[in-house]
Amino acid sequence: MFVILKDLFKYDKRFAFGFSVILILLFLSILSFFSPYNPVLWSLVPKNLPPSLKHILGTNSMGQDIFWNITHAIKNSILLGSLTAVISITIGTFVGLVAGYRGGSVDRALMSINDSFIVLPSLPILILLSTMLKERLTIAVIAVILSLFSWPWGGRQVRAIVLSLREREFTYTAFFSGMGTLKTVLKEHLPFVIPWVMANFINTILWAIGMETTLAIFGLSSLETPTIGTTIYWANQYQALLRGIWWWILTPVIIAVFLFLSLYLLSVSISEFLDPRTRLQRMRMEEVST
Amino acid sequence: MNLLKRYILPRLIQYFIVIFIGITIVFLAPRFIPLDPVISVINRITAYGAQYMDPEALEKLTETLKELYGLKGSIFEQYIKFWKRLFRGDFGPSLTIFPTPVISIIKNSLPWTAGLLIIAALLSWSIGNILGGLAGYFSNKKWAKVLSVIAMVIYPIPYYIMALILIILFAYVFPIFPIVGGYSIGINPSFSFIFSLIKHAFLPALALVIVGIGWWFLSMRSLTSTITSEDYVVYAETMGIPKNKVLFQYVMKNSMLPQITNLALQIGGIFSGSLVTEYVFSYPGIGQVLYMAINNGDFNLLMGIVTFSILGIATAALLIDLLYPLFDPRVRYR
Amino acid sequence: MKKLSLLVLFLLILSLLGSSVTLSQVLPTLPRSETLIVDALHGRLANPKDFNFWKPGVSVGNGTQQMLLDGLWYLDPQTGKTIYALAESDPVYSKDFTKMTVKLRKGIFWSDGKPFTADDVVFTVEYLKKHQGMNYSAQFAKWVSKVYKTDDYTVVFELTESAPFFHYIFTSIVYSTCYIMPKHIFEKVEDPLKFEFNPPVSLGAYVLKNYDPAGYWWLFERRADWKRTSVGQLYGMPRPKYVLFIYYGPDEKKVMAQTKHELDLIFDLTPEAWEVLRKSNPYSRVWYKDFPWAWMDDVRARVMAFNLEKFPYNIKDVRWALTLATDIVDVVTSGFDGIARTNPLFMAATASLMKEFYLPLEGWLKNFALEDGYMPWDSTVPYRIADYAKKKGYKVRGEPREIFGIGWWKYDPTQAEKLLTKNGFKKDARGKWLLPDGKPWRITITAPAGFEIHATRLAFAVADQWRKFGIDVNVETVEAGPFWSKWHLGDFEVGSYWSVPATDFYSFIQQYHSRFYKPTGEVASAGNQIRLKNKKLDELLDKLVALQPEDPKAKDLVVEIIKLFVEEKPLPIFIINLKFNAQDHYYWTKFPNADDPYQAPVWWWGQFKFILPHIRTTGRK
Repeated sequence: MFVILKDLFKYDKRFAFGFSVILILLFLSILSFFSPYNPVLWSLVPKNLPPSLKHILGTNSMGQDIFWNITHAIKNSILLGSLTAVISITIGTFVGLVAGYRGGSVDRALMSINDSFIVLPSLPILILLSTMLKERLTIAVIAVILSLFSWPWGGRQVRAIVLSLREREFTYTAFFSGMGTLKTVLKEHLPFVIPWVMANFINTILWAIGMETTLAIFGLSSLETPTIGTTIYWANQYQALLRGIWWWILTPVIIAVFLFLSLYLLSVSISEFLDPRTRLQRMRMEEVST
Repeated sequence: MNLLKRYILPRLIQYFIVIFIGITIVFLAPRFIPLDPVISVINRITAYGAQYMDPEALEKLTETLKELYGLKGSIFEQYIKFWKRLFRGDFGPSLTIFPTPVISIIKNSLPWTAGLLIIAALLSWSIGNILGGLAGYFSNKKWAKVLSVIAMVIYPIPYYIMALILIILFAYVFPIFPIVGGYSIGINPSFSFIFSLIKHAFLPALALVIVGIGWWFLSMRSLTSTITSEDYVVYAETMGIPKNKVLFQYVMKNSMLPQITNLALQIGGIFSGSLVTEYVFSYPGIGQVLYMAINNGDFNLLMGIVTFSILGIATAALLIDLLYPLFDPRVRYR
Repeated sequence: MKKLSLLVLFLLILSLLGSSVTLSQVLPTLPRSETLIVDALHGRLANPKDFNFWKPGVSVGNGTQQMLLDGLWYLDPQTGKTIYALAESDPVYSKDFTKMTVKLRKGIFWSDGKPFTADDVVFTVEYLKKHQGMNYSAQFAKWVSKVYKTDDYTVVFELTESAPFFHYIFTSIVYSTCYIMPKHIFEKVEDPLKFEFNPPVSLGAYVLKNYDPAGYWWLFERRADWKRTSVGQLYGMPRPKYVLFIYYGPDEKKVMAQTKHELDLIFDLTPEAWEVLRKSNPYSRVWYKDFPWAWMDDVRARVMAFNLEKFPYNIKDVRWALTLATDIVDVVTSGFDGIARTNPLFMAATASLMKEFYLPLEGWLKNFALEDGYMPWDSTVPYRIADYAKKKGYKVRGEPREIFGIGWWKYDPTQAEKLLTKNGFKKDARGKWLLPDGKPWRITITAPAGFEIHATRLAFAVADQWRKFGIDVNVETVEAGPFWSKWHLGDFEVGSYWSVPATDFYSFIQQYHSRFYKPTGEVASAGNQIRLKNKKLDELLDKLVALQPEDPKAKDLVVEIIKLFVEEKPLPIFIINLKFNAQDHYYWTKFPNADDPYQAPVWWWGQFKFILPHIRTTGRK
């Protein structure tokens, strides 16, 4: 495992970049445990200071240090995103695979449930749910609520891929050569599904963070927990953009962009690595170039 | 006949089951929230310290309104009543703007939402997929890499921030576009009215398109780059078939399937509007109406809009399911 | 691909062209210099074509009540003076207050040419009384036994029992009142709950010219016969030919609009939005020309309401301890950047009410002591806030006591600790407070989310204070719908609300009579959401109802009630409402402000109609 990582790091620039950035972000989120300031308290430092040596990313209008607050925000947002992604991808992939392979009434039953969630308009229901659970909104609760609406998409997509894979030659080949269904799935199909799962995983993380931001804009997140979303909420509440306190609003946006970039590049690189055909191709290319 | 029985009928049944479950969930959810439409109306009467109301009169009004709004009776009774009304195509009166029929409120707002969102969805879908397809196929070209980086950087910017930046730039710093509404005041339907319509819709559409393109681009690129390495594509290339032809007839065509599904679902989903867009750009639409309904406990209005939304997405999904085999001959009707 | 990019290009060019063709973005077809543009209070309306004010739940603050409707009396909270609109003079009561006679103003006409007479007033009362579910229906049913005219301009109300306050139903004290209906329109209406009163027949100096079916704006045009209205008779011609009520969206949009001089009067802004506006538009101002700018004579105050049925907030010492654990100067400076007036008493600290109630009570406040003899009053507060402002480089013109209030309660954690320890509270090793049963003390403050921003700010600022004192505090922000439900059901421990009387104290305080008490869990629609039960208060209220609101003896009773609220501390009151209701002096000027406070700057109240004759155009085109 370690060797693979090392190889990837060495030969794939995208992986190297993504991996380094995510390491930095993870490091920042670990830093939050050593934060000298409690992120819930206000008026701890002078207000609206631009970035300086003392406050690397400046301070906000509530008298908080933005750098230390954003370390908490990164930690919470990554947690929120990953939690949502893990929950929903697990359910989605499982449902999609089973429905796709089993077909028939199992497929229909699963897809009924799946589609019932797809047809629900997500934002209004999310607003409704967060209104309802307002007092109990924590990162974990938000993650569960968000998963409710993200798993069926994965489910449907995985099923669609499986449907088209099933009709392929190698499936028949595998089938006729006596390979069991499970083995066919694992050996022949999962490599095709995994890039999708990967793409879906980071996409769900991003969707979760984005959705949390949207909910936060309407005050429907756990406002006292710093996340990328609530940081934007507070910056916006205090008109940071119009008042020119750019360091306040820009910080969460840049973090969001880097978080996405790194995860995206990682997933592209890993899925290519897992895809046997591109691996072959790469080896061929390397032969040619050497 | 066989086709109907074995492929279409089960899907139709599933379609109705899905709608039924969906509507039931949405019907039940708000009843567990501490929301009371009567309180919200009373509150609007007294919110600003409004009028002289002695406490007893307030209590009496509360009672009268409860009766008027038809909120007496158990949840189950109300649920039955809802379905009965729904089969007559009636969603009942709105509770916050009593007794305006829910349907007329929806009619008032939906055209704005539909116009804006369908155009934005189609534009971003076509541009994003074409660019994404090209970038995925020619993934070693410099421009493809530049495009990818741009998409990767723009897409994760929270939509709200993107919209805010656009409006500050193009309506404030450079006052090219208006900052409110769907058209200018006092203009009658004519050429200048259409002009005004386009001008007002431009920024909201632009924001939606930019973010939309990012997503379609990235997903299409990863789809095509997978397909590009498929045997039949490699084969076609070695055969000397022109690259353009390979791209459009071999690669793009095969990566379209999930993209078409998503487009259909997106268009089916316009019935619940785009709250953030409407909020930031003050654009008329159904999203804000829905938000208001949630906030005021206007169950009828909420159910009306959500029912439309559920029908829209479910129908889109059904159509896609029925049309699947046309796009992908590998999937057979079974 | 090519076709698409061409289309995009075409659209772009089209819109660029469009913007250069029209001069003004909002008003391409109206002369800007003759139009006043006002912020629409309720935002976008889902049903913008309904002008039937008398139907519950119809929003009338987007121009309807300011431009089209008129009532008998208005009470201006800024000056404390009564404006006689449709009524010519004060009401005349019989000795036992069972009969009220009103003389109406002559020469008033509806916009369709029909004269306004006693018939309209009589009709309004009888019609509303008859139609249950309409606004005021319940009141009229309860109080009016008979209403009739003695001549075309005299109306007599015979009341069911002694009701010395009956004329308040027809007085716009805060925001709105029972406006008069046009008889000749409504007498043909079978079911007023289904009637939209569109096109509206106006009794005001303007008529509805146009409105946005999407619900963003309403345009009003001055009547040619504006002289035949109460505004015209009292103050002369309202200056703007057109008045446009429009909703631009969230604060940043309103700021942009006023900076571009496309919005003259704004309802309210956040302090930060105002800061942006102040710096980008030299023509903008609010009330004071300098710091603290804001209008601080609004008729409510911000409180931390306790549910008095929930432990430990049912203990008076706990309520006092939490008050004394709050450094009000820090709340005002860190939460509001010094822009706030402290409001310690159960009476909004407006300019006129401070003179009427606060100054006479000052001696009593200075000597007021808790049971253990501790004297909590602190009169240094305004000066310390002023010092903060000066340190920040702001100019403070005028007397700090008039701007920042006459004082508040001391910040004294030691005394607070004493009060808590007395009741069995303990501190753990980390300095955190424990309840008497040894469990950690956790407070949840319920605050509004996305509306009433000052209440939200106060909640966070106070939470900060109590945390520093050693209590775990959590602020829960809640959307309007559930926020009000929680409030009425008593589903809160501590809530950031604004329940304090002002000029309307007479009717306002009566909700605290134990007759209307509802236990936690039941809807307290009549008021008293904090579940206060107090015998002494009941007695005072019983005496108060027997008096006319204007009676000097009534005032004495109110003073007693204020004192009772200090002693019992059912809800610590922090600051008066503030508003950044900004005015743009680019096209129009002479709006009411600290330099000439002729009337309260309330564009969203019915009273707004009387401001219009006072303003002047600047002549800018």
